[in-house]
Amino acid sequence: MSKQPVFISRHEELPLQGDSTSLFLQIMVGIAVFLFSITLAGVLAINSMLLNWNDSILGSLTVQIMPSTNINAEKALAETIAHQEKALDVLRNMNEVENAEPLSDKQLEKLIQPWLGDGISIQSLPIPRIIDVKLKKGADVDYMDLAYKLAQATPMASVDNHKLWLNKLIRFADGLKLLALSVLALVIMITSGAIFYTTQTSLGLHKYTISILHLMGAKDTYVAQQYAKRSAILAFQGGFFGLLIGLPTIFGIASLAQQIEGGIISEASLSFYDWCTIISLPILSAVIAMITAYYTVKQTLQKMM
Amino acid sequence: MLNINNNNASKSSSIIEMQNVGIRYDQGPEILSDIKLSLRRGSFHFLTGKSGAGKTSLLSMMYLAQKPSRGTVSVFGHNVNFANRDSLALLRRKIGVVFQDFRLIDHLSAFDNVALPLRVCGMDEREIRKRVMELLQWVELDKSIQATPATLSGGEKQRVAIARAVINRPDLLLADEPTGNVDNDIAPKLMKLFVELNRLGTTVVIATHSEKLIHDFAYPRLHLQNHGLKIYGPNDYTNMRGNLV
Repeated sequence: MSKQPVFISRHEELPLQGDSTSLFLQIMVGIAVFLFSITLAGVLAINSMLLNWNDSILGSLTVQIMPSTNINAEKALAETIAHQEKALDVLRNMNEVENAEPLSDKQLEKLIQPWLGDGISIQSLPIPRIIDVKLKKGADVDYMDLAYKLAQATPMASVDNHKLWLNKLIRFADGLKLLALSVLALVIMITSGAIFYTTQTSLGLHKYTISILHLMGAKDTYVAQQYAKRSAILAFQGGFFGLLIGLPTIFGIASLAQQIEGGIISEASLSFYDWCTIISLPILSAVIAMITAYYTVKQTLQKMM
Repeated sequence: MLNINNNNASKSSSIIEMQNVGIRYDQGPEILSDIKLSLRRGSFHFLTGKSGAGKTSLLSMMYLAQKPSRGTVSVFGHNVNFANRDSLALLRRKIGVVFQDFRLIDHLSAFDNVALPLRVCGMDEREIRKRVMELLQWVELDKSIQATPATLSGGEKQRVAIARAVINRPDLLLADEPTGNVDNDIAPKLMKLFVELNRLGTTVVIATHSEKLIHDFAYPRLHLQNHGLKIYGPNDYTNMRGNLV
């Protein structure tokens, strides 16, 4: 009769998964990835918003026609419209301009509605008229020349190429981006620090087993690889749960932002690649954990034994 | 009485060389002073001396767990004082050690404890399984392969420790009281294993308090006394009575 094969289950030499530092590491990485995902989503959204602004602003400009000061409202309106037509003539004859359209009464009413409320007749108010000018792709406009030509046609026109407020917004957005990147750096440092200390604690807990492994001829690398593998698994698990909480939070913030009117925030969308970056955070945290644990073990064992 | 001569006398290369070696712990006095020793490949020695004479310290230098406070120690031709951690690890793979307190890993089975030196070397699992099962059968522990040390008797633990020490067919075997906890009937069997390994070329050093063992197996003796080391030939029982415990 043939002998039944004996089933031999192999246990890990270092029972790292079950030691007391594991849960702490998972929670730390989970929190880090949660914060990381939200901040990263913010940075990427700000970035896309900046790109959108740049594209749209570089391709457009606004010409403002000051209202006539005539006491008679009807005459004043007619004079303002006449000035607007002269400006339009100049603009439409320029090679760099693709399209020049005055804002309709309805559009103007919508613009002043937040200040003056509903039911305002734009016709009776001495407010400036606005021409929205779309430039041809890659057009290089000489703004001084444009301003001169418009001044020749009508003294009531002024050009706004949006550069002033755009620069302010870009500076503000750059500041936000820098702040977000600082948070990201801080989160990475805290995660690495947590892994460093949990690994050191765990090395202390398993000092006896490690000393036996050394006596059996194990190199530091043998121990370091086990820690690297364990940290990568724990960090991935922690990171996965962090992301599970982070994603709905990002959607929540995004839907709140969508409700803000004005069209600025709505341009802050995330591309497919942005989402891929955010979703890959648990893998990134696993890699950081693996590298940190590996070198912590190598460095600590040098000093310890 | 068995009388076994060193079989590899023709091979004269030294496995262990010690020159003017001293060991002290912290700022205390030297436990061992001016030790000079040369163990030739394939030799077999007993290591004797009273408790506290420094047997464990001397052995720990031999299995590279400790560097000397002064003097030079060379193991397999490598000066331990200048060897880096990885080189020491590779040298340790050629050394099998049976510790007095066994030093088994409590959460591992007898099988996994014995397999440890082979896994550390990265050996294929099938080969590990074959070798370990064979050896556990030989030390009559094939019924306890899955048992953890906590469930084994003192003698069984010692046999696991011995199996672990010899599984990798070491060039140097160091044993601290290897037959101290085993039954009278298994002690000769374990000694036969050491002798057989020695016959195959393994250099053996056995620290013991057992006069019977020294009488039964006529091997030269390294004797520690007054912090120094003296070497006695086979059948020379000088300093035996009252100097081994």
